[in-house]
Amino acid sequence: MSGSANVGVHVDHARDEDPAKLAEFEARITAGELLEPDDWMPQAYRQGMLKMAEHHANSEIIGALPEGEWITRAPSLRRKLALTAKVQDEVGHGQMLYRVSQDLGKSRDQMLRDLITGKTKYHNVFNYPAPTWGDIAMIQWLIDGAAILNQKTLADGAYGPYVRTMKRINMEEAFHFKSGEDMVLTLMSGTKTQRQMGQEAFDRWWYPALMFFGPPDKPHAEQLPPMRWRMKTVTNDDLRRRFINRFAPAAIDLGLKIHVVKKDDNGMVIEKKPDENLRLDETTGNWSFTQPDWDEFYRVIRGNGPCNAKRLALRRFSYEQGRWVRHAILRGNAGLPPAA
Amino acid sequence: MITLPDNLKRPFADHLLAVADDKLMLGHRNSDWTGLAPILEEDIAFSSLAQDEMAHAQALYQLIAGLIGTSADALAFGRESEAFRCAAIVEAPDEFDWATAICRQFYCDHFDRLRLRRLARSSYKPLADLANRLAAEEQIHVEHVDSWIQRLGRGTDESRQRMQRSLDALAAIAPSLFEPIEHEHELVAADVYPRAEKDMFETWRNELEQIANDSSLKLDLHPPSPQAIGGRRGKHTEHLAPLLEEMCEVYRLEPNAAW
Repeated sequence: MSGSANVGVHVDHARDEDPAKLAEFEARITAGELLEPDDWMPQAYRQGMLKMAEHHANSEIIGALPEGEWITRAPSLRRKLALTAKVQDEVGHGQMLYRVSQDLGKSRDQMLRDLITGKTKYHNVFNYPAPTWGDIAMIQWLIDGAAILNQKTLADGAYGPYVRTMKRINMEEAFHFKSGEDMVLTLMSGTKTQRQMGQEAFDRWWYPALMFFGPPDKPHAEQLPPMRWRMKTVTNDDLRRRFINRFAPAAIDLGLKIHVVKKDDNGMVIEKKPDENLRLDETTGNWSFTQPDWDEFYRVIRGNGPCNAKRLALRRFSYEQGRWVRHAILRGNAGLPPAA
Repeated sequence: MITLPDNLKRPFADHLLAVADDKLMLGHRNSDWTGLAPILEEDIAFSSLAQDEMAHAQALYQLIAGLIGTSADALAFGRESEAFRCAAIVEAPDEFDWATAICRQFYCDHFDRLRLRRLARSSYKPLADLANRLAAEEQIHVEHVDSWIQRLGRGTDESRQRMQRSLDALAAIAPSLFEPIEHEHELVAADVYPRAEKDMFETWRNELEQIANDSSLKLDLHPPSPQAIGGRRGKHTEHLAPLLEEMCEVYRLEPNAAW
C-alpha cells in the first residue's frame, strides 16, 4: 500500500553544486532519462530520494500492521489466505524499498532504528484505527486505490531503481485493489449487519483517503525541485481530484453514503452528516467535495493521532524481539543451509 | 480407486480432520508473524509457509466436506472446540518468540512430511493425489526449518540456549502428534488410511535428532502413551478455546452470510 505523496520533500536544489553538472543533470531529467545510483546527481537530490524511498519503505512495514491484526480473524479460508498474502506483499514492498534506500547510502538497521525511535516518519494514514472487518475491506479498496493512483505517477519519475520498484509494486497493488473491491461489494450486498459494518468503516476511511495525497500544494508546485526533478510528477491536489472523480461515484453505486464526520481522539466517528458540497460538475466532469480537516492532518502527522503510539510500539517490540536472531545470523558461526 | 463404505466415512473424516486441523492451527499461528518476523526476508518466507499450511488445510477440508456433506469454511470456522482433532503442539502459542515458533515448526513439519508420504499411498485416490502434492511442498518447509535450527543452534551462545530451551519446552507436547485416533485399525484394514511403513515415531525422532546433533542441540523425546487421550479425541489444551474465539470472531457475527 502506501505512497510517499505526503512526505514533504524539501530540497535546497542549488546548494554548492557545479553549475555545469547541474545543468547536464537537469537536461537529462527534461529529456526523460532515468538516473541510476552511480550517476552524478546533486546532493540534495540524493538526500531527497533517500528520504522519499525510506519513508515509503517505512510506510509499507507500518502499513502491514493494521491489516496484519486481522489475519487471525478473517472470516473465511479464502479471505484468510488472501489477507495473509496481501500483508506479505506489503512487507515485500518494504523489503524492495529498503534495498533502494540502502543503495542510496543508509544501512537497513539504521533505517529500522530511526523508524522505531521516531527520527523518521511513515505515512500518516496508518495512524488511524481498523476496529472491524469492514475497515480491512475499506483499507484495501480506498487506501490501496489511492496508493495505486499515486504510485502510478511515481512510476513516471526519474530515479531508475525507484521507478522500477514502483512498476513492480503497482502490479501487486492491482490485485490488492481487486480483492478490496470484492470485499466491499460482498459486504454491501450482504446482510443488514454487514452493510452497516461497511458504511461505518467507509465513514472512518473516506477522509483519511482524501488526506492520503498530502496537504494542498504550495503555489507553483510544478516549479519546485521535487516536481522539477521528477521525484514526483503530479500535484497533491490533482491526485486528490482524480481520486474523488473515481471513488465518489463508485461509492454511491455501491450504496455507500458520503458523510462529513467528526471523530473522537480514538478516531471513532461521533457525528456525521451528508456532504452537501458533494456534486458532479457536468461541464468539467469534476466532483466537488468538502475539504478534509487539515488541522487534524497536522495533529496526526505530529504524532498525536489515534494509533501513532500503538503502531510504533508494535514495530519496536518486533525489532527488539528479533535482535538476538539477527545477531546470531550476522555474527555467529552460522553455516549454510543443508543441500536440498 | 475404492469407493468408501458408509461406515468408514466418519472415521476417515476424523483422520483427515486431524491432518487438516493441525495444518490450520499451525498456519494460523504462523500467519500472525506476517509483518513481525525478525528479518524482512524471513518475514516473507515464513508467511509463505503459513499460507501453504492454510491452503493445505483448505484442500483437505474440501475433501472432507465432500465426504460428510458440509463446506470447508463450516469445518474451519463453524465447529466447537471438541470437534477439532488437532494435536496439543499446534495449539501452543509462541508469544512472538522466534525460538518457540521455529521449534514448533521443526517438530510439526518433519511429522507432517512423514504423514503426507504415508497418506500418498492411500487406496483412496483423491487423498493419495492430494497428499502427494502437499508432500512436495512440505519438503520445502522441512528444509527451511532445518536451516533455521542449524543457524540458530550454531549461532551465538544466546541463540543456542534459547533454541535448547524451546526444544525442551515443546518436547513434552510434540509427541501429541502421534496420539492414536479412534478406528484407525478399520481404516488401515480397508487400506484407505495406509499402514505406516515402519515405526513412524522412531523415524521422526531419528530425523530430528540428526539435525539437532548437527546443530549443537539435544533432543529428548519419548513415545506417547498408547492410552493418551488428547486433541485427537477432542480433548484440547487451554489454548484452543481462545484461538477459536479469535479466529471465528467475524464468521460468528453472521455464520450464514458470505464474507
